[in-house]
Amino acid sequence: MITAQQKPIDEIRGMLVPYKRILVLGCASCVAECAAGGQKETAMLASTLRMKAKMNNEDVIIQEHTLDRQCVKDFVVTLDDIIGSYDAVLSLGCGAGVQAVAEMFSEIPVIPGLNTEFIGETRAQGLWVENCLGCGDCMLYYFGGVCPLARCSKQLFNGPCGGSVGGKCEINPDVDCAWQKIIDRLSRFGALDRLETIYPPKNWSRKQGGGPRKIIREDQQR
Amino acid sequence: MHYQHNRTLALFYCQNVPGAGERERIGLEKEYGQCIRFYPIACSGRLEPVHLLSALENFADAAYLITCPEGMCRYFEGNLRAIKRVMRTQDIISGIGLEKERVGIITGSKEGPKTLAELAKEIFDKVLQMEPSPVLGKGERSYDYCATEAH
Amino acid sequence: MKDVSRLKSVLEKGGFAVTSECGPPKGADPQAVLRKTELLRGKVDSVNVTDNQTAIVRMSSLAACCLIKKAGLDPVLQMVVRDRNRIALQSDILGASAIGIRNVLCLSGDHQSFGNQPDAVGVFDLDSIQFVQAVRNMRDQGIIVGGEPLSHPPDMFTGAAANPFADPMDFRVVRLAKKINAGADFIQTQCIYNMERFDRWLGIARDRGLTEKAYILGGVTPLKSAGMARYMKTRVSGMDVPDQLIRRMEGVSKDKQREEGISICVETIERLKQTPGIRGVHIMAIEWEEAVGEIAERAGLLPRPVIDDQ
Repeated sequence: MITAQQKPIDEIRGMLVPYKRILVLGCASCVAECAAGGQKETAMLASTLRMKAKMNNEDVIIQEHTLDRQCVKDFVVTLDDIIGSYDAVLSLGCGAGVQAVAEMFSEIPVIPGLNTEFIGETRAQGLWVENCLGCGDCMLYYFGGVCPLARCSKQLFNGPCGGSVGGKCEINPDVDCAWQKIIDRLSRFGALDRLETIYPPKNWSRKQGGGPRKIIREDQQR
Repeated sequence: MHYQHNRTLALFYCQNVPGAGERERIGLEKEYGQCIRFYPIACSGRLEPVHLLSALENFADAAYLITCPEGMCRYFEGNLRAIKRVMRTQDIISGIGLEKERVGIITGSKEGPKTLAELAKEIFDKVLQMEPSPVLGKGERSYDYCATEAH
Repeated sequence: MKDVSRLKSVLEKGGFAVTSECGPPKGADPQAVLRKTELLRGKVDSVNVTDNQTAIVRMSSLAACCLIKKAGLDPVLQMVVRDRNRIALQSDILGASAIGIRNVLCLSGDHQSFGNQPDAVGVFDLDSIQFVQAVRNMRDQGIIVGGEPLSHPPDMFTGAAANPFADPMDFRVVRLAKKINAGADFIQTQCIYNMERFDRWLGIARDRGLTEKAYILGGVTPLKSAGMARYMKTRVSGMDVPDQLIRRMEGVSKDKQREEGISICVETIERLKQTPGIRGVHIMAIEWEEAVGEIAERAGLLPRPVIDDQ
């Protein structure tokens, strides 16, 4: 899933200064799973903003609404009935959600309330970790199911570097060395020989070389 | 006796707290009128920051939570999680310039358990020392409002 | 005069090579480079020029190499993959070769979070092994990554680094083998303080025939103080400083610690000279270039051989 965290309240308020009728728009998908932009967080942020507005005697209307998915047009279109009452949307969707809403409603400013972080997993309650960069050319087979691109600080395809000590990365002892994990896993399946060959330079055109990416599936189209 | 003060406390409490039965609550509501609003919950771990925020936004000068003593939670760690949520709520309100003390948590004591009535009084006495909440303003919440509601 | 790698010449003639390093200044003054260079003249065969080491912005390695080359010494251009993608890396190899630089050391580079630009993007388009391979393919096959031919190949004696002291230990020699298979002509190692562990690593490398395929130069760094020894042990990842060595440094008075550090360094070099498969020494006297001459002298590495450049 996509993970995100709420922006600092002062930054959000700074962006909202020109607007009087604000819709705080949550998303019940990924950002709900990572407790950043679901229904609950949307209610909290809206309430916090209303309190601050009252404290400052600001004459604004702040209301909240949550879509099942902000990044899917079929859901965004349901805003059609209500969006006319607002002069700005504060989106608690990921970057894709913010832009999907903006794409559909060209007349209304859509302000990001979250910082979108990474593609990751929920490893435990309250713990999300990055493990995929969406490179468009999955290499996990070669690396025993541990991505050196997403999880090695230096993105080494032929690691580990000289800073791997006790299974930890040199940049921070809280960071696991991805290469130690790769080696441990491959040795468990007796496939360490995969690492004897030099992994060639990555084809980045699958990620960014061709400009913004698009997937077209005719069988899925109407 | 009526408390005639221009402060309101939202008091959430675990039903495990001594003297927190239905009958006692009704008695306390009569005593405090609108000055304290009582919200029994099955477990303090169920309380979300949004509940505290909503209270502060709409009517309360302070919002407090009383939990059962550590190690006594029926759901094992509800009261421990509650502490973290209250702390998060404190961070949120201090982010907009509200005093942290407007939100708080009282963990019951195993050794000298206090009743809901005792704790309610202690917390409310503390709230009386606070300025009226800048969210609700001074004007709207008159002495009369509380007094009238209390009757 | 034809540009040749002095390092390569010494090694090919069977000599025990001596390299040192020069960190370019945090400024644009060429004299800062030349002053350091003068301290090394005649004491070493070649001078490694670090590439924004510890991710701190400094004069470019390529420019500093150019200054050193003009001053008549043989520079080793260090290049990290942290700051440049494959286009820039390969372009700089061509440029370096064009101005007569004949040695390159291909490195990953210290992570940008350590330096004075922690907000910078880390490029890491190629890794150090892929970079070694790219340089070798440019030189030997006249092609760049992807296979397109060059009009004129670069001439680069190509090196890589190895850290025998990092984890996982069993994999360290595999990685050395990958670097050598990628095309490294020479290897410079991380500073050696734990000789036993180094010997174990080298023994495995010898058994795999790696010491026959590339010239391995052992890295040494003179300790300036007991404090530096402790710092390196505890704060620098992948550095193995045995307690016994720290106690030895602590055992002498503060004003004698530099001297003791040099003695330890000389003893290490003496052992490296006797170690089969070691073909030279890389003396990294960090901000202490003055020490290099004394170390080389006391370790019996002087005078450096005269190489016929004609």
